[in-house]
Amino acid sequence: MINPKSKIMTAKEAISRFVNDGDQLIIGNYTVSTCAELVFEVARQQKKALTLYSQSGIFDVEILVGAGCVDKLISTYVYRAGGKEGGSAVERSLKDGSLSMEDYTNFQYNARLMAGMHGFSFMQVPEGSMVTDLFKRRSFMGEGKYKIIRCPYTDKEILTVPSANPDVCIVHVQRADKYGNAQYWGAMGSVAAAALSSKRIIVSCEEIVDHEIIKSSPHLTIIPAFRVDAVVEIPWGAHPSEVVGYYNLDKVAYALFLMSDMTGDGLKAWMDQWVFGCPNRHAYIEKYMAENGARTIDAIRAKAYYSAPANYGSAFDSCWDNQGRERTMGVTMEELNTILEERGLLRG
Amino acid sequence: MAKKYTLDELLIISAAREINDGDCVILGVGLPTTAGAVAKALFAPNATLMMESGIIDFEPLVPPNHIADANACRGFSYATDLFSMFTMTYRGFVDVCFLGVAQIDKFGNINTTVIGDYDHPDMRLPGSGGAPEFLSYAKRTVLTMRGGEFVETLDYLTSPGFLDGGDSREKSGLFPKGSGPSMLLTTQGVFRFDETTKEMYLAQLHPGITVEMVRNNIPWDLKVADSVLITPAPSDQEIDFIRRFAPTESVGRKLMYELGIINTLKKAAERVKA
Repeated sequence: MINPKSKIMTAKEAISRFVNDGDQLIIGNYTVSTCAELVFEVARQQKKALTLYSQSGIFDVEILVGAGCVDKLISTYVYRAGGKEGGSAVERSLKDGSLSMEDYTNFQYNARLMAGMHGFSFMQVPEGSMVTDLFKRRSFMGEGKYKIIRCPYTDKEILTVPSANPDVCIVHVQRADKYGNAQYWGAMGSVAAAALSSKRIIVSCEEIVDHEIIKSSPHLTIIPAFRVDAVVEIPWGAHPSEVVGYYNLDKVAYALFLMSDMTGDGLKAWMDQWVFGCPNRHAYIEKYMAENGARTIDAIRAKAYYSAPANYGSAFDSCWDNQGRERTMGVTMEELNTILEERGLLRG
Repeated sequence: MAKKYTLDELLIISAAREINDGDCVILGVGLPTTAGAVAKALFAPNATLMMESGIIDFEPLVPPNHIADANACRGFSYATDLFSMFTMTYRGFVDVCFLGVAQIDKFGNINTTVIGDYDHPDMRLPGSGGAPEFLSYAKRTVLTMRGGEFVETLDYLTSPGFLDGGDSREKSGLFPKGSGPSMLLTTQGVFRFDETTKEMYLAQLHPGITVEMVRNNIPWDLKVADSVLITPAPSDQEIDFIRRFAPTESVGRKLMYELGIINTLKKAAERVKA
């Protein structure tokens, strides 16, 4: 037994073990560092009847809806390409009735996760939305989408949203240790709340690092190990989106995807090639470099701009000083044992 | 021959044995942090030790001075805030917590706020701190009492134990199933709570203590387990660890102060000479 608590596994194993048909699945990332490879793996494994949460659902939502994995979608912002002639997987699925969607504002969506993360059953949100059709038009959540209550302190009407505790979160971060401590920096978005509100958490990362690195930078950790079910090391795991410190947005690859996504056939062809045609991220990147040249990838690789180290040190790491004397009582271990014996404080 | 131990070492290891490998553990200062350190070092390497200030997954190198002592460890895994620590507890992620007690009744309800009248106190104690939420929502709570008292009726209910006993805690609908005090550790022995009546009973005596000695401190007719166990002595390895890690905890507060003052005066005299 090397380490009983290591949670390292492949994306294939993590998705197959922790994502079930019919689950509420939440995309942990917001706009950047999209957990692209975990999304691809959900599509490859053809998970069905998911309720998908995504704060800002562009690449991730399009892939999963396009792959037929999603029945219900909760989001604040979805994608549409190409003007009047264009379209999107979400739009096509709404049109053909295979998808229902619930709209929230960015803040309300995040508030639902904050409530879920902290164990509250609802959260107060700014009341202005009561006059909008966000409030009036409701899809599968019906009455449960918003509720108005009277504040017991001010007697004013306040708008509330229900908490959300999705079954499983998939999230990509810069680095993690084998236990699952996940470190992420950059735009914080709703990343921590998405993960911490969920029942199960699958973390993919650019690098698995030694636990000592995590210990010396605890303020970068956004998900503690004891909450995490699986850790997957996936270099380039967010491509074509960006990961600060590792690579920039691949505008060319992203644009090619968006152009393909204008039609159902286009998206299908793109996914056949890049999702279903590649068994894993390594194969995807190899294929990408073979087709576009390694220089395309090198051009977006991040140059270093390191955060200044913070000093977590203290004056000493033992109660005993260099002379072997206890710092408060000033005695050596031998003297201490003698005193305990003389005072009759020892038993057994 | 087995190594000899102090009373404090016996108490520390008795508390430490309540920690299982893999547990998420909330530690208060003093005995609990030492207990947590022993458990993590010797038999629960995968325990996640936490302090309510938001220090998560730390390995203490010296006994913390208070519950926000990041100087007591060399880094830690996750920095969060107090609010999130408590909501984490509320959501059921804390397996075991340790709380000190000033007054306790037979159903494990505790007072850490005041002795006597609230407005005109005989003794004004620290108050609740984090205790009420921990005793409410941690899966298990280990209570420790040294110098506190058993009473028929608390002067002030700070943290809810089994309320009126029986199913009253569960029936209130306010607490997760199975939560509540799991044991009380005193300088004389270990008390646990009856599964049905939720009344505390004497489960374990420390070596040299008799049931009569325990009864003398308890104002009600104390229930006693059919077979009272004797608290097992700490192993040599455990004693060595505790005495090296937290010698001031090993010797007890009284001797620590005595030797500490002597040491301070000695150092002052040396400075004068120099």
